[in-house]
Amino acid sequence: MSFVVWAALAIAGLVVGPIVAHLLHLGRAREREFPPAALVPHHRSTARERSRLEDFPLLVLRSALIVGLAMLGAMPLVRCDRLALGRTSGASVALALVLDDSESMRATLASGKTRWDVAKTGAEQLLHSAREGDAIAIVLAGRPARIALAPTTDLGAAERALDELTVTDRSTDLPASVELARAALKALPQRDHRLVVLSDLADEPVADGSPPVTVPLAELAARVDDCALTGAERRGQRVTVVVACSSEAAAQGRTVELVVTAAAAASAAAHDGGAHRASVGDVVAHAGVSPRRGEQSLALSVPRDAGTLNARLVGNDACRHDDEAPVSEESTASVVGVVADPTRAAAKTGGPTVVEQALQALGDTWAVRPLPFVPDDEKGLDGVGALVIDDPPGFSPEARASLSRFLARGGVAMTLLGPRSAATALGWTLEPFGRGAARWEEAKELQIDVASLTWLGPEATSLASIARRGRTRLDGMEMTGSLVNGRWTDGVPFLLERPAGRGLVVTAGLPASLDESDFALRPGFIALLDQLLRQAGQREGGRRTAAGGAWTFPAAKQVSIDGPDGPAKVTREPSDEACAERGAPPGCGDTILRAVASVRGRYTVHVDGATETRIATLDPAEVLTEPRAPGKASRTEGARGTARVGVSRELSLVLVALFAAELAVRLFRKWTNRRSAPSPSVIPNP
Amino acid sequence: MKTRFAERVGTLDWGKLAPLRLRARAVAEGVFAGAHRSRRRGSGVEFGGHRSYVPGDDLRFLDRRATMRHGKLLVRQFETETDRGLRLVIDASKSMAYRSEGAPGAKLAFAALIGAALCRVALASADTISLDFIGGDHSPPLPAMGGLEAFERLTEILADVEPSGDASASTGLLDVALDAVARRSRRGTAIVVLSDFIDLPDGAAERLMALSSGGRVVVGVRVLDPAEASFPFVGPVLLRASEGGANVETDAASARAGYLAALAAKMTGYRERLVEQGGRFVEVTTSDDPVLVVQSVLAAIGGTSA
Repeated sequence: MSFVVWAALAIAGLVVGPIVAHLLHLGRAREREFPPAALVPHHRSTARERSRLEDFPLLVLRSALIVGLAMLGAMPLVRCDRLALGRTSGASVALALVLDDSESMRATLASGKTRWDVAKTGAEQLLHSAREGDAIAIVLAGRPARIALAPTTDLGAAERALDELTVTDRSTDLPASVELARAALKALPQRDHRLVVLSDLADEPVADGSPPVTVPLAELAARVDDCALTGAERRGQRVTVVVACSSEAAAQGRTVELVVTAAAAASAAAHDGGAHRASVGDVVAHAGVSPRRGEQSLALSVPRDAGTLNARLVGNDACRHDDEAPVSEESTASVVGVVADPTRAAAKTGGPTVVEQALQALGDTWAVRPLPFVPDDEKGLDGVGALVIDDPPGFSPEARASLSRFLARGGVAMTLLGPRSAATALGWTLEPFGRGAARWEEAKELQIDVASLTWLGPEATSLASIARRGRTRLDGMEMTGSLVNGRWTDGVPFLLERPAGRGLVVTAGLPASLDESDFALRPGFIALLDQLLRQAGQREGGRRTAAGGAWTFPAAKQVSIDGPDGPAKVTREPSDEACAERGAPPGCGDTILRAVASVRGRYTVHVDGATETRIATLDPAEVLTEPRAPGKASRTEGARGTARVGVSRELSLVLVALFAAELAVRLFRKWTNRRSAPSPSVIPNP
Repeated sequence: MKTRFAERVGTLDWGKLAPLRLRARAVAEGVFAGAHRSRRRGSGVEFGGHRSYVPGDDLRFLDRRATMRHGKLLVRQFETETDRGLRLVIDASKSMAYRSEGAPGAKLAFAALIGAALCRVALASADTISLDFIGGDHSPPLPAMGGLEAFERLTEILADVEPSGDASASTGLLDVALDAVARRSRRGTAIVVLSDFIDLPDGAAERLMALSSGGRVVVGVRVLDPAEASFPFVGPVLLRASEGGANVETDAASARAGYLAALAAKMTGYRERLVEQGGRFVEVTTSDDPVLVVQSVLAAIGGTSA
């Protein structure tokens, strides 16, 4: 056995021995001779009870004394110390604290504390060791990385800011947060810059840089067994639940239950033939989790009238918080409708139209739904968040009304005007995309002014030389509020944009048809569609977004949100996008309403009188990404970062206080005994 | 502590009460300084009645007038012929060896001192004394005798006695002592029983009452240690009886009232039965002034106090 084992045994003996001796002695009465003992009544139980009561404080004090002594003796073995800023020259220090507030920090460690508690305590200890003149900045590593406290020398403000911080359900963005912290430190006058990361490091490695990263709390990187519900979506009577488990042990013996949190309306039950209606708290379905590491989907069938559901993981793991998730309804905002003539807008080899193919190239976030024509009825656009119309021959009054309602509720529509648009039928117009009739003209030598489309990004350059037969002149078609977002080299508008209701209308001067141009084959076209879908996503709002994601409400006047932790904060912030919408340069001062869903769960959003439900979900990476043990270099203590300061002095003071307390207790008991005991009296003679 | 052990004689803890002979004499001197110095003076010439003449009677006491009146020989009797002797019975069982912290000596030592002082007073009045023990080792009885020699022998016996024996086990030890006293006690004899009256067997009170017959006066002197009288213990205690083998674990504060009540009831029983038969009962503790205790006992013998 090693020295450490012997030392531990000795300490254990020191602690246990006196306690055992005390327990053996506890309640034993002092024996003495007393001739008239037969006349003394028996009160054994009372005596023992009182003895226990009187001895208990002394037992506690002595035990505390011995434990304290043992800890003092074992200081090299026991890490009962605290973090402090190490100083080499005594000069002021600029300290950036990167505090990970992501969901993985909610996990409970073997010590019984959560990672967040340990990290926050470490941050508090570092702040307490800061002196006057030190600059403190706090950066949060939950995605997106953000500065919770700009560099300040006001230590009180830093402590207050730290007090207010809470852990969230965001994913982790450690590299960005470290870069943000380095940028915050760069301008500070202190020569000694420190960057301390308090995280489980469950993210990509941090790039080397200056100042180097110090990770003083290696215990945060301890692996834990955790399963989390990262998604739960309902489609009709089928609920798909996604479970992510960090290890096989975490998944062992776990089951998923679907619990009713709000009963269905009575009409829904009646519609279902009067079948039994589930009440709140009922478990309507359950399924076992496969005992394996990773992500797995479970499909569960539920009654039609099950009402609002929550998914729940049964069993214990390191984090109870992520064992329950709301079930979201089938998404509606993730559908983009495409109205295009396959005979004109499709490739010669057949297949979907180029517009559909371009949208599919943007990923599977949006489901593409081909439409034969613009629906005359509003119901035809139900569930559609964005609409792309290629070379329409105008819109009937019914279609225009339907489009208006679509735009009013936040839909985004784009039309690509071509030769067919120039020949609208009688009674049909191009509103709401343009006023009057479109004019198609042959103008092969003109090109799109790329400089006017820089907002599209580098893909805009691909539009510099388009092969085409002609163009649709949009000049004169601008409706009230229209903005020109792109031009031809002769100054004629190529792209118009106009807010309509809560929605947005975009009009382009080229069709998708490959017979007319190769515009639809250019990367710039895909960038334009991507911009369109982003706008649609912002307006309609995803029914399911990752926790930490922001919701913006571009045209909304009043927004209130009820989240799992109470009302969510809605702020009005300057928005470059809002500026771009009206053609103003970035930083123009236009504002936009914005809210952040930092905690997973169900949010009820009220936008200008309309109410919708949104779900914030958990990033599976928070569970599946294993913590990384900090490298030796980043653990190095001392001059570069932090130092661990022993607590011997404090412990010694505590021991002295305990000793004084025991003396006081003993004196008090002696005094009370004297008072209660009668003095031997002399019985007078008869 | 060294002084206390040096003064011990045998196994009995004499404490401050040693040496017995000198202490008893001093106590008796204290008693003589009071009002009872010559209590029996002149009593021997008082007329005590007539009886028939038997051969050998002193012819000087023939009452001629009574003889002529009744037609037979009658002699006159005087008080000097009644037995006013002192008979001591001292409890020397194991419980009498008890001495608590702070007490001047063991109960037996205190009883011996009181008994020796009483004998000294009695001998000064030309009365006879005798001594018997309940239990005890090296405890030969002292037959009735008078004179200075009696005091010397009495103190020697008392100094050598060692407490032993369990009086509570049976009436044997008590009967041995009381039977001897009864045999040598005549009418008018004062019988003083010095004991703690704690461990005497059942029926002890009745046997003491029986001694009170025939004009004899029985005085019970209950000698207790101060601790026995007040029960000053604190906290949980395991009390072991000297006789009878009783062991009691109790909480002192809770048991105090009950113990004092039981003790008072026991002593009241003895007192009432003795007084009922013309006897007396005196309660003392070893911390009391021996002179006052002897005066109390003498007063009880004289019937001035009960």
